[in-house]
Amino acid sequence: MNDAPYKVLGVSKTATQDEIKKAYRKLAKTLHPDLNPDDPGKQAQFQAVTAAYDLLGDTEKRRRFDAGEIDASGQERPERQYYHQYAAQDGGERYDGGFAAGHEEDFSDLFADLFGRRQPSGGGAHREFKARGADLRYHLEVGFLEAALGAKRTVTMPDGKSIEITIPSGVSDGQVLRLRGKGAPGYGGGPAGDALITIAVASHPVFIRDGDDIELELPITFDEAVLGAKVDVPTISGSVSMTIPPGTSSGQRLRLKGRGIKRGKASGDQLVRIKIVLPKAIDDDMRTLAERWRDSTDFDPRTDLRRKT
Amino acid sequence: MSLDEQTVVAQIERLTLRELRLWVSEGWVRPAQGEHGPVFDELDVARLHLLCDLCNDMELPADVIPTVLTLIDQLHRTRRHLRHLTEALDEQPAEVRRAVVASVRLKAKAKADG
Repeated sequence: MNDAPYKVLGVSKTATQDEIKKAYRKLAKTLHPDLNPDDPGKQAQFQAVTAAYDLLGDTEKRRRFDAGEIDASGQERPERQYYHQYAAQDGGERYDGGFAAGHEEDFSDLFADLFGRRQPSGGGAHREFKARGADLRYHLEVGFLEAALGAKRTVTMPDGKSIEITIPSGVSDGQVLRLRGKGAPGYGGGPAGDALITIAVASHPVFIRDGDDIELELPITFDEAVLGAKVDVPTISGSVSMTIPPGTSSGQRLRLKGRGIKRGKASGDQLVRIKIVLPKAIDDDMRTLAERWRDSTDFDPRTDLRRKT
Repeated sequence: MSLDEQTVVAQIERLTLRELRLWVSEGWVRPAQGEHGPVFDELDVARLHLLCDLCNDMELPADVIPTVLTLIDQLHRTRRHLRHLTEALDEQPAEVRRAVVASVRLKAKAKADG
């Protein structure tokens, strides 16, 4: 049997999974290409180490490799772009400040003078002699709820004109709205171009969007899960009362029909993912209750799990 | 390339939405739209891969990540400046290039000799 992957990681064939993991971690810390951007040797070594760990770090793959069912060669990861390949290029300045931005040195001031950003040249439409005016592109950031429900926004264009934009409900991030005739004026009496507005949709702290459905995680108490309850649930169009059936488990998803994003006559649903939350400090009553239940029940939620593994 | 949170999480298998939001809120990754509508480009995605390596594969504790990122960011800034400087130097007449190289060697030697 080929033992190359074991040699690469510097472990014996009888090493435990834990030993393999430790060996990999130790090597990765010294060989990672983003920590050694100018050292192709280390980069190649890191790739070999990662490939070996992909194989041996997975008990099933390791077993099949040891049994000769698969060879080491098929295990290489697809070519990956490393951070340093972008960060040292032009355009990588965004992260120059480091994590703790603010303490610049004299040294970098010199470079700031030398390599100050060039202003983008020209800017805007090509001055071609066409009858129709050029299309102008804009960016517009809209709130999560504005995008979900639709909204009207008045936007001031760079030339000082203000236009009203109707944001249709259910607009998605990156979608482009075309406003006819709101672009650059035409030449020689030709029609004006269009304004093309690329929409960026903000995220929301509790709602997550999946197409026209809205997902929300709802924390409930232990007694609500056991006995069932009626609770108020926020939706994009206000709070609604939802019935939690008795015996609801964490992770279970309840559907509020038609409470998602409306698009014409159709509308998405809101999916409510239940999460049972216990208080940080368990009081005596709860403990007694749990002990009494434990001593009287034969319920085991993991029987299925054991059978399948 | 501009990707939203869902796409990024789908693209980087080992990244969860929770981690992504945490890292953005910590300022470790700074996507284009600021706090309102995060849009991630290649640079951000590559940085997220690096963070997955640091946090998951190497299991570095979260409180050292800012230090590590600061060092890495300084390294790349310096490399980029060095590259620009080298490119600028390449465009100079031969005698200027030779003079600069000689001067650099002299300084390096002076330092080495103490």
